[in-house]
Amino acid sequence: MTRTDLRVVAALGARSVKQTFRRPQLLAPIVVFPSILLAIQTAGAGQAVNLPEFPPVNSFLDFMLAGAMIQATLLAGNSGGIALAVDIEMGFTDRLLAAPISRFGMVLGRLAGTGVLSLLAGIWFIVVGLIFGAQINDGVPGVIVMLLLVTLSGLAFGGIGAAVALRTGRASVVQGLFPLVFVILFLSSAFFPQDLLTGPAATIAQYNPLSFIVEGIRDPVISSLTWEVFGKAIASLALVGAIGIGLSALALRRRLRAGG
Amino acid sequence: MPAIEANGLERTFEGGIHAVAGVDLDVAEKEIYAFLGPNGAGKTTTVRMLTTLLQPTGGSARVAGFDVVAEAANVRRSIGVALQEAALDPLMTGRELIRLQATLHGLSRQAGREKADSLLERVDLVDAADRQVGTYSGGMRRRLDLASALVHEPKVLFLDEPTTGLDPVSRRTIWEEVEQLNREGTTVFLTTQYLEEADQLADRVGIIDFGRIVAEDTPGRLKAGIGHPHLEIRLVEDVAERAREVVAGFGKPRPSKDGAVLVELEGGAGGVAPVVRALDDAGLAVESLDLVEPTLDDVFLEKTGHHLEPEEPEAGESE
Amino acid sequence: MGWRKSMEATWALVRRAANELLRGVLAPTIFFLGLTSVFGALDNLAGFPAPYKDWLIPVSLLQGAGFTGAATGVNLARDIEQGWFDRLLVSPAPRPVILAGLVLSAALRSLIPAIFLLIVGFAIGVQWPGLDGLLIALLVVMGMGTVAACWGTTLALKYRSQSAAPLMQAGMLLLVLTTTAYAPLALLTGWLHTVARYNPVTQVVEAARQGFIGSVTWGNTWPGLVALAGLLAVLSALALRGMHRTAI
Repeated sequence: MTRTDLRVVAALGARSVKQTFRRPQLLAPIVVFPSILLAIQTAGAGQAVNLPEFPPVNSFLDFMLAGAMIQATLLAGNSGGIALAVDIEMGFTDRLLAAPISRFGMVLGRLAGTGVLSLLAGIWFIVVGLIFGAQINDGVPGVIVMLLLVTLSGLAFGGIGAAVALRTGRASVVQGLFPLVFVILFLSSAFFPQDLLTGPAATIAQYNPLSFIVEGIRDPVISSLTWEVFGKAIASLALVGAIGIGLSALALRRRLRAGG
Repeated sequence: MPAIEANGLERTFEGGIHAVAGVDLDVAEKEIYAFLGPNGAGKTTTVRMLTTLLQPTGGSARVAGFDVVAEAANVRRSIGVALQEAALDPLMTGRELIRLQATLHGLSRQAGREKADSLLERVDLVDAADRQVGTYSGGMRRRLDLASALVHEPKVLFLDEPTTGLDPVSRRTIWEEVEQLNREGTTVFLTTQYLEEADQLADRVGIIDFGRIVAEDTPGRLKAGIGHPHLEIRLVEDVAERAREVVAGFGKPRPSKDGAVLVELEGGAGGVAPVVRALDDAGLAVESLDLVEPTLDDVFLEKTGHHLEPEEPEAGESE
Repeated sequence: MGWRKSMEATWALVRRAANELLRGVLAPTIFFLGLTSVFGALDNLAGFPAPYKDWLIPVSLLQGAGFTGAATGVNLARDIEQGWFDRLLVSPAPRPVILAGLVLSAALRSLIPAIFLLIVGFAIGVQWPGLDGLLIALLVVMGMGTVAACWGTTLALKYRSQSAAPLMQAGMLLLVLTTTAYAPLALLTGWLHTVARYNPVTQVVEAARQGFIGSVTWGNTWPGLVALAGLLAVLSALALRGMHRTAI
């Protein structure tokens, strides 16, 4: 990576963030949709905190914040993949490939954008949470760790989205992953405590990396983040990230050989 | 050293389609070279190989002295590329696009900003510079695309169908800009399906059909090679067959076009009067009569056996 | 158009229909199974009248109807973009007939995700609602499909663009979820408690739900039907108004 490559990644990242703000259809899934679901689920299932097995929390909103954030990063990763596929479909990637920059730079630029959008979504949900009475137990250091994990989630899930985009080159295919995002969410402890999940979901959620990531984001709010939980979250992110970025690199190589 | 050089360049796609089946090129510095051919002839595939976007499956090519495969990065540094209208992001502003392009070519922030200002001025997009590209007309998009290819003052400029789908006025604006660039020393390689474009702009024209160059020379010499002007005769009634028999004695007959009877006249204009008299004697009423100098279309017909008649393509559609 | 092109066009249409069907069927099923697993333990709360999956299935049925109905709007927007709809409007058919055709087909199509969802539900042990409960649920589903189609049509005529699709879907989602969707009214907290109390769709949900969590009574049925009729009157009037505007 040369200096120019870094500037290119930054410029492409800035482009993808601007793009999202200029097209409401891209912003809606990242911010609006998770916010609506957060509001409805918090009020609809709020009495859950009275269940005897529910971990001690200030309010159900405190518990739900992490779920909303992780949902936002998953959808940001999906949107980033769609945008990359659109770039391929309309030939914008040719512009990048005809320039003397690192081939992977165009993927990294997109990921940088997804990371920033995830960070912004994280800030949004912390602010919304605080306004509606959430209390973050670990204070400012907790907020910093949460934002770090949220940003890394965006990069990791963005990698998966980019891999599908590069492999298929079709926005409609990436868009088709949308329901899958919810399958993954429902099969994790994103919306409810692990011990209270029912059916097969309860078993799957124990092994779902998403559960570990969510708990890393949630614990600074409802209790206190331990090194163990933090380590598991980071390890899960590293796993998802390695898969996403590895598959992206393979798909890009294949695409370049076939001639885009 | 030639600006562009290709030896037996080939590209075969999956399924065994020979999109480009052995192309040789030798384009000198400061030349304007036009690749003329119908949709699907292999123009875009050739350009994609020369601009390092596609690896050849056979042969070799050098651009600005660098091998397109082994020294791809150096090629990319030396060339400017305006591929297709659609390769512009509708959500970016014109200024943002040029500044991004400047970053891609390693210009500093400051240099990129200045370059954007001067290029926008050059292609007359100053007023529209901060509007999203989605609001631009077709001509504005091509001008922006052209400007974005110039940020690093490339030695060689590739323009893939730069005016396809544009109205005549916009087309002329692009031509003037290309000529100006060429006067400043830029080598230009362009593809086109418009005869007029090749004729007007190019120092040399390569006619490509089914992935092969079938003729290559200056427009003037290509036309002269066809030989003689021909007479295009339209008749009042549908009696083309009889007319053909009558004029057969005056020169080589040529395949008819839109119902007109065509005949070559070796003697040029001097041969017109006898033909008219003969038609008159045969009792055939002539509606119109044109003496036509050879065009690139004639060259195309001669070399490929069919006319090059580009349909007005629908927006965004090309090879 | 050559045979190859027309084959491709036909294939694209088939694929589009299959995609729509899949999405219309898949989304509510994923939400039903997912929310049942996630919030299933809520039925341990004091005051929760039934197992959670029985509580939730009518909501998912209505959600499926909402999705399918909204798809009518998306399709219409595409037809408007491509100029098909203008051709329909210059035909001598009266506007209300055209609207009725659009929304009634949505009502019938909304039965497809409903039946699929019911099969999945019964497979995982959802209580049999009785024939009367089932028929009322399906009637309500068709009504909701019609309401959603009117909503989608109104937006399609207003924005004349497929980019309004998220609005069509989100509108129906909000309407169905801001009710007693997740829990009984007494267990809802904050703003949702208030909204669910006055949201007419709460009555619709309760009407569809009665067979699954108990027995069917006229007293639980008529408020839902009245609410549906009211929604239908308002939204079909809006859709018709949009059509008349378009015609000018």
